[in-house]
Amino acid sequence: MASSCLSPGVVPLLLVLHWKHGAGSPLPITPVNATCAIRHPCHNNLMNQIRSQLAQLNGSANALFILYYTAQGEPFPNNLDKLCGPNVTDFPPFHANGTEKAKLVELYRIVVYLGTSLGNITRDQKILNPSALSLHSKLNATADILRGLLSNVLCRLCSKYHVGHVDVTYGPDTSGKDVFQKKKLGCQLLGKYKETIAVLAQAF
Amino acid sequence: MALFVVFQTTFFLTLLSLRTYQSEVLAERLPLTPVSLKVSTNSIHQSLHLQWTVHNLPYHQELKMVFQIQISRIETSNVVWVGNYSTTVKWNQVLHWSWESELPLECATHFVRIKSVMDDASFPEPNFWSNWSSWEEVSVQDSLEKGILFVFPKDKLVEEGSNVTICYVSRNIQNNVSCYLEGKQIHGEQLDPHVTAFNLNSVPFIRNRGTNIYCEASQGNVSKGIEGIVLFVSKVLEEPKDFSCETQDFKTLHCTWDPGTDTALGWSKQPSQSYTLFESFSGEKKLCTHKNWCNWQITQDSQETYNFTLIAENYLRKRSVNILFNLTHRVYLMNPFNVDFENVNATNAIMTWKVHSMRNDFTCLCQIELHGEGKMMQYDVSIKVNGEYFLSELEPATEYMARVRCADASHFWKWSEWSGQNFTTLEAAPSEAPDVWRSVNSEPGNHTVTLFWKPLSKLHANGKILFYNVVVENLDKPSRSELRSIPAPANSTKLILDRCSYQICVTANNSVGASPASIIVISADPENKEVEEERIAGTDGGFSLSWKPQPGDVIGYVVDWCDHPQDVLQWKNVGPNTTSTVISTDAFRPGVRYDFRIYGLSTKRIACLLEKKTGYSQELAPSDNPHVLVDMLTSHSFTLSWKDYSTESQPGFIQGYHVYLKSKARQCHPRFQKAVLSDGSECCKYKIDNPEEKALIVDNLKPESSYEIFVTPFTSAGEGPNATFTKVTTPDEHSSMLIHILLPMVFCVLLIMIVCYLKSQWIKETCYPDIPDPYKSSILSLIKFKENPHLTIMNVSDCIPDAIEVVSKPEGTKIQILGTRKSLTETELTKPNYLYLLPTEKNHSGPGPCICFENFTYNQAASDSGFCGHVPVSPKAPPSMLGLMTSPENVLKALEKNYMNSLGEVPAGETSLNYVSQLASPMSGDKDSLPTNPVEPPYCSEYKMQMAVPLRLALPRPTENSSLSSITLLDPGEHYR
Repeated sequence: MASSCLSPGVVPLLLVLHWKHGAGSPLPITPVNATCAIRHPCHNNLMNQIRSQLAQLNGSANALFILYYTAQGEPFPNNLDKLCGPNVTDFPPFHANGTEKAKLVELYRIVVYLGTSLGNITRDQKILNPSALSLHSKLNATADILRGLLSNVLCRLCSKYHVGHVDVTYGPDTSGKDVFQKKKLGCQLLGKYKETIAVLAQAF
Repeated sequence: MALFVVFQTTFFLTLLSLRTYQSEVLAERLPLTPVSLKVSTNSIHQSLHLQWTVHNLPYHQELKMVFQIQISRIETSNVVWVGNYSTTVKWNQVLHWSWESELPLECATHFVRIKSVMDDASFPEPNFWSNWSSWEEVSVQDSLEKGILFVFPKDKLVEEGSNVTICYVSRNIQNNVSCYLEGKQIHGEQLDPHVTAFNLNSVPFIRNRGTNIYCEASQGNVSKGIEGIVLFVSKVLEEPKDFSCETQDFKTLHCTWDPGTDTALGWSKQPSQSYTLFESFSGEKKLCTHKNWCNWQITQDSQETYNFTLIAENYLRKRSVNILFNLTHRVYLMNPFNVDFENVNATNAIMTWKVHSMRNDFTCLCQIELHGEGKMMQYDVSIKVNGEYFLSELEPATEYMARVRCADASHFWKWSEWSGQNFTTLEAAPSEAPDVWRSVNSEPGNHTVTLFWKPLSKLHANGKILFYNVVVENLDKPSRSELRSIPAPANSTKLILDRCSYQICVTANNSVGASPASIIVISADPENKEVEEERIAGTDGGFSLSWKPQPGDVIGYVVDWCDHPQDVLQWKNVGPNTTSTVISTDAFRPGVRYDFRIYGLSTKRIACLLEKKTGYSQELAPSDNPHVLVDMLTSHSFTLSWKDYSTESQPGFIQGYHVYLKSKARQCHPRFQKAVLSDGSECCKYKIDNPEEKALIVDNLKPESSYEIFVTPFTSAGEGPNATFTKVTTPDEHSSMLIHILLPMVFCVLLIMIVCYLKSQWIKETCYPDIPDPYKSSILSLIKFKENPHLTIMNVSDCIPDAIEVVSKPEGTKIQILGTRKSLTETELTKPNYLYLLPTEKNHSGPGPCICFENFTYNQAASDSGFCGHVPVSPKAPPSMLGLMTSPENVLKALEKNYMNSLGEVPAGETSLNYVSQLASPMSGDKDSLPTNPVEPPYCSEYKMQMAVPLRLALPRPTENSSLSSITLLDPGEHYR
């Protein structure tokens, strides 16, 4: 039984479910035909929960964005289009007209990407703006919901579509960047997040 | 020997040549040129790091050398820095040297070269510089990532007030680049077409999160991107202040200091400054974990003297302070313990405490503070281990707080913390008699005496007052005395005494005993002495009172008054040699009258009223105006009066009244003066200086004129409130005269009318009887006038009727009489239908035939057969016609014409009855009088009757109802039938 839990398909999932801020190392690649096994049975109304979580994220995305760029100081609040435009490279695509399975896979990739990026942003802002408690709180809350969403999406993929592995990409590692670049990348990521989450909430 | 000399000479020559050779060789190899110069960069510190070696160094030899380094920027000829670096060089040693650039290295290519010179004493002059090494180029721009704009330096840490150079690199020279610091544009110097540098002098500290500096590249109005840096500006590290160390137990030194400003920056760019303690005698060092204190363990090797250096340090600066001290001089005792009080009574107590023992011969200096009753007393005492102090002169029944602190008596460093305890002294008997006063109301047969006393102050009460004893002793009958105990906190009692002299003693009592007695005597004589009241003026400080001294011996004076609005009796005792005082209290209110009574206290303690004074602490303007009555109004004067106005209940002494008069006349009346009101209007003003004069006659007025008056009192503070003026209009001058004439006339007329009414029957019979006397008829005079001798007047007595013809009227014929609604039929039952004009047989005296005619004049029923003056009116007849037909004038005219036709010259005024001839055709022949008569009944012309029309019936009221009245008078239905 223990050996089945530690099967190659589950380990990356556990890693994803318990990622920490700034965890940037890529998941080990597992075979495509790996079996899907989950420890706990999935909830019945998973899709409703996913929709609800997406709606919740969509409702708070703009406030998070505003809190973020306000905390960065000038020139951010007055140059959103130049500094916080949603031109994020390597952001996973999403096709709203795909099948549910395809959409869930794409959603999975996006949530993983956003999760790591938000982790980096949260880490950076706690160091740079230690007194911006409201921003920290909002970032943490968003990351929590994303983790729950990821778990639900994975459960759905695994239970219904028997998808045990999804290739993912992570957000850019900002640790080597200078402070201004970190602020800028964070702002761009949150701008992209606000835009994407609206599409996702609509698509599901 | 010669050989030896030769050998010696050869040896020296060889040695000399060798030395010469060696010198030549060194001279050939020197100068020692630096080689293998390598330059690297450190972007974080914006520094160039040089490393090189020196060739040709002798093996195992150290030489002191000077290296000159030259640094150029952008191009080799642009030398920005030249400097020397001296060091000792070993063989094969790699030398290192760094140079920090004020301009970010990414913004310009740098070139470095180096040369050297020997600066060693073992090699005498001349020394000369080596050749320059070749230029070493350093360019960081090539390593930049993709992008169109770069700003440097990244995340630089500088100190507040320092100068910083920033720069940008623009890949596209077509772009216009603008740079901003906290939103404010900054201007720089272009180093090359791609690079511009900005010198920021004395950068300020804005926030610990850093300062955003950004540049925006644009072409025209199109932005190509924004890039920026965060500059971290640290506050300047301050030197620690108030650094000191002390011990409480000779085991640990506790060092404290004021750290000053925290220089920590966000983004972990710089943590808070660190503090390190270094002791020079022991050479020990300790990194302090707290920013304002640190503990140092005292070693057991009996070190007495310590030299501490406190070092504060951050990334940019290091500061230090130093103290040197003897450990025994830095003893800070722990606070005393076991503080207690023994033998506490009303005025004394013993305080005890203990201190922590430091060593055997240790002496403490202790300080005691005693707080109580708002006062503080301080005592010092030296002790060993157990402290004790006798506290005396304490107040009874008082809570005290005593505390103690101690210090090393031999080397005072600082006091310990306080240790304290509260205690309360015991009670004692009150020390002073209560201050007693009284008010006396004399009534027939007795006095009502109200005693007042003031509560004893805490100082004199010496405890909680439980009750007051009042002993009333009859001085006239000494055997009788009465004791009353009145529980506290009462401060008054009422006594009803008969007409005897009484001595009253009042004492205050607490749990320990009674106070001295306060004695007051009420004499048997009533206090109804008439004393004139004097007015006084109050000031801000109160009332200043003075009085004439009482003749004879007095033990003092008492001034009493009532506080308003509480109406509480207040009094003040004044010494026997004082005849003035100032009564000042916060209770005095402006606009309130205070009455003061000054009593002298005789040696027998009997109070005698000396003077009365009254006044206001501050007079105010009157609060209301009098209600003014206007009477005795004539055409030339009227009287104003305000008798009901009370001058006593005003917020100031009423000094008089101002009477304002407004009239259309521009000139003021005598005694009045022109005045301008607050609204700017002009009027006349009369001033009454006597407050009791509450009436004024305003005369010299014009008849039929309107005046406005306003009366307001005034005090020293001003007039009463503004109010509306009262209007008075003088009557017409002749109206009174008319009244004098018209009234008697009206009375006379009324009297005549009453007489006429009462004597109407007599007048009627006299002036216009119902049956005219032919002899009195005017016809008779007419006949006489024509002097017709043949005509005689038939005497009634001469007429003997032969027969009486009775003509009965049709039954049911009824004519309603207007107003009475009584049918004629009913009326006629009591009257004959005919008048018997002919004499009865026995009365017959005349021989001739008798003419009998029916006199319809007196037969009201005749009208039922038609009246020519009345025209039946169709219901549809227009009202105008009705008016014409029924107007009294028309009727009268018609009747007058008939008179003329029938009677000719008979004056109408002689009788009120109109006789209509039966032969005459009253209506048909009178078309002029009724030209508009639309319907004329044909039988009217045939109807012939003689009738009298009572005017009151024939003249209906000239109203619309007049036609109806006519119809009612002559019922149309009946009429047509």
